Amino acid sequence: MLKFNRRHWQRFKDGVLQFFTFTLSSVTLVTLSAIVIFVFQTGAPLLNLDLFNYDYTSNTYISEPILVNGEVELCNCAPTRLLDEGVNYSEKWGVGLSDDEDVLGKPVVIIDYIHQNSPLVTLKNKGFGPETFRLLDEFYIRRIAFFDQPSALDIFGSQFMIDMLDANDTFRELEVITKGGGIRGSVITTLWLILLTLIMALPIGIAAAIYLNEYVSKNSVIARYLRQFIELLTGVPSIIYGLMGLAFFAPFIANITEATGPSILSGAMTLAVIVLPLIIRTTEESLKVVPNEYRQAAFALGASKTQTVFKTIIPSALPGILSATLLSIGRIVGESAALIFAIGVIIKDEISIFGQSTSLAVHIYAMMTDEPANIELSATISLIILAIVLFLNIFIKLLTRRMINKRLPGGMI
Amino acid sequence: MTKTLQSLKQFIYSNRARWLVDQSFFAIFLLATLLSSSFIFIVVGVIFQRGITPFVTDNFGLGPVNLWSFLTGDIYLTGSTFYSSQYEIGYLIVSTLFNAVLALLIAFPVGVATALFIAKIAPKWLANILRTVVEILSSIPSIVFGLFGAVLILDQVYLFTESLGFQSRAGLSVLSTVLLLAMMIIPTITAISEVAIRSVDQSIEQGALALGATTTQKNFKVVLSSAKSGIFSSAILGVGRALGEATAVSLVSGSRFSGYSFNIFDTTATLTSKMLEGMKETQGVDYSIRFSIGLVLMVVILLTNFGLNFIKRSIGRVEV
Repeated sequence: MLKFNRRHWQRFKDGVLQFFTFTLSSVTLVTLSAIVIFVFQTGAPLLNLDLFNYDYTSNTYISEPILVNGEVELCNCAPTRLLDEGVNYSEKWGVGLSDDEDVLGKPVVIIDYIHQNSPLVTLKNKGFGPETFRLLDEFYIRRIAFFDQPSALDIFGSQFMIDMLDANDTFRELEVITKGGGIRGSVITTLWLILLTLIMALPIGIAAAIYLNEYVSKNSVIARYLRQFIELLTGVPSIIYGLMGLAFFAPFIANITEATGPSILSGAMTLAVIVLPLIIRTTEESLKVVPNEYRQAAFALGASKTQTVFKTIIPSALPGILSATLLSIGRIVGESAALIFAIGVIIKDEISIFGQSTSLAVHIYAMMTDEPANIELSATISLIILAIVLFLNIFIKLLTRRMINKRLPGGMI
Repeated sequence: MTKTLQSLKQFIYSNRARWLVDQSFFAIFLLATLLSSSFIFIVVGVIFQRGITPFVTDNFGLGPVNLWSFLTGDIYLTGSTFYSSQYEIGYLIVSTLFNAVLALLIAFPVGVATALFIAKIAPKWLANILRTVVEILSSIPSIVFGLFGAVLILDQVYLFTESLGFQSRAGLSVLSTVLLLAMMIIPTITAISEVAIRSVDQSIEQGALALGATTTQKNFKVVLSSAKSGIFSSAILGVGRALGEATAVSLVSGSRFSGYSFNIFDTTATLTSKMLEGMKETQGVDYSIRFSIGLVLMVVILLTNFGLNFIKRSIGRVEV
């Protein structure tokens, strides 16, 4: 009887432990779903392709048409898509306007459609800033002033504006309010950062991996120490790298270029240091599994060491180098703490690699620390970042699987 | 002309040229390696050089910062506002460690249980799904975690504290910080623990089963204790990540200005969140003090690592 009881008790204990394991392991699943659902729900409504086209800040431009031989090249074209009800279209100018209300309830005239050949697509800026700018959908037109005629103001509605445009062959001034809330600048900055970082980090990282794997014996004291120093870099928190970028790379770049403070270039150098250990480790992993027969065969055929490295070993290790690149891109896209220091948190629309601007991740940080925080746009950018990270993850997984499959005995890579 | 070309060709294919090329590439590769391994010294050197300036200079009339009160005090006055050099981060060191330890207390059981489930209990398809989930979770950037925490966790924590009768500052609290940090280090702990659990010798497990242990007994008593050392390493890495985490924490911590506090509904601040806070100038004590805090952060991480590794060595031995 006693024995029977003990077994029951044991089974009960097992059941409790099993239950705990089940519940606790569902936490990761719940966390991930919560994050994904939250980001998707909050961010998806704002997500569209125009986001990549628009500036972040909404600007008012006063502009005049670009003249060819003293007159405007009129369009006289039909719309390429069906226009909605309530859109007034001018064939002469190739632009469709509609009435709308802004957030304050004031009447505004909004550009609903603009033909690609329209003379209004590119306008000359009369004020400060860039010399010309592009007119896009969803910009507001405040007023159009003509020669010797009353101006067409937005309070008179879009019908009046179109009538006035149709009656004239040119205009004196067009005041337009661009649509803000876009992330074009941050996207460009992120692309610059990826490009510059990889240009700096990949050659150094691959060369170091080749040295550590091909030129010194694995157990030599020097290799061990060098590898340890590189590994130490992975334990340093990224905010420390940010400080280093701010105090070391930013003045360095400012000294040798036109930059005046932290810049995209100094940010890229900081990121290069961050991804360097990652690149070295991943490349080394892929160099390690290049069969020794390849090296011996290359030497036997009379290749020099350099030829062996560049013609045999690097091509065999290419998938590993590619996955190192992708991992680095993921790290660059997600990095925030280091860049807050190394570049700054000023959201810009005009991007120069010698100036400050924000990457996508820092754009979120800048908006979240602002008052009031722009949560919707932050979630939209998070959604974009998540999509990039997910895509990279899947790609790396496929790549690794391919690498493992191909490395069967006797198979050439 | 043809003669020079020919001699050039001869030179290119000569052994001497090959030797030269080999040597120069050797030099290039060596240089790249030396450069890569020197960065750690540059990082430490730059932070150290900037970090000690507030203690050894006059700070433009504010007077040098007192090192002892810097490390132990609990009042942080920004120099530009209060015209003082009273920067004390003792409470930050304590709260940084406090947050990290609490986060580990939540994340460690969850992470290890998940690792055990993936490695030993779950059917293969479920294990694959969970492993992918953990991988994705670990690759989510901290700013996304920060956004999630600043909106969802803060809300929930606020409602929770309200129901308990506390008034937390919009949810900005130790609790939110700890929950967020726990979420971020669970994947680290899971991934490394899983590898450790997987590499437990099959014969030990079979021996346990042969002695009449149930599968659950075997998993908890034999597998986990055999993988103890690897599991402990995962905790060390997790703590390291929690200590160094910056952006996400700064969005939910509430940037506490002074005072030690161990109330989990109270606002908090960590070394990292203090560093990120409101930087404006690029010189002066308010700027350099961030490097000092960075230096302290590195020392804290290093000491924690040493301490935990010491514990790991003393408990990690498995007698089989």
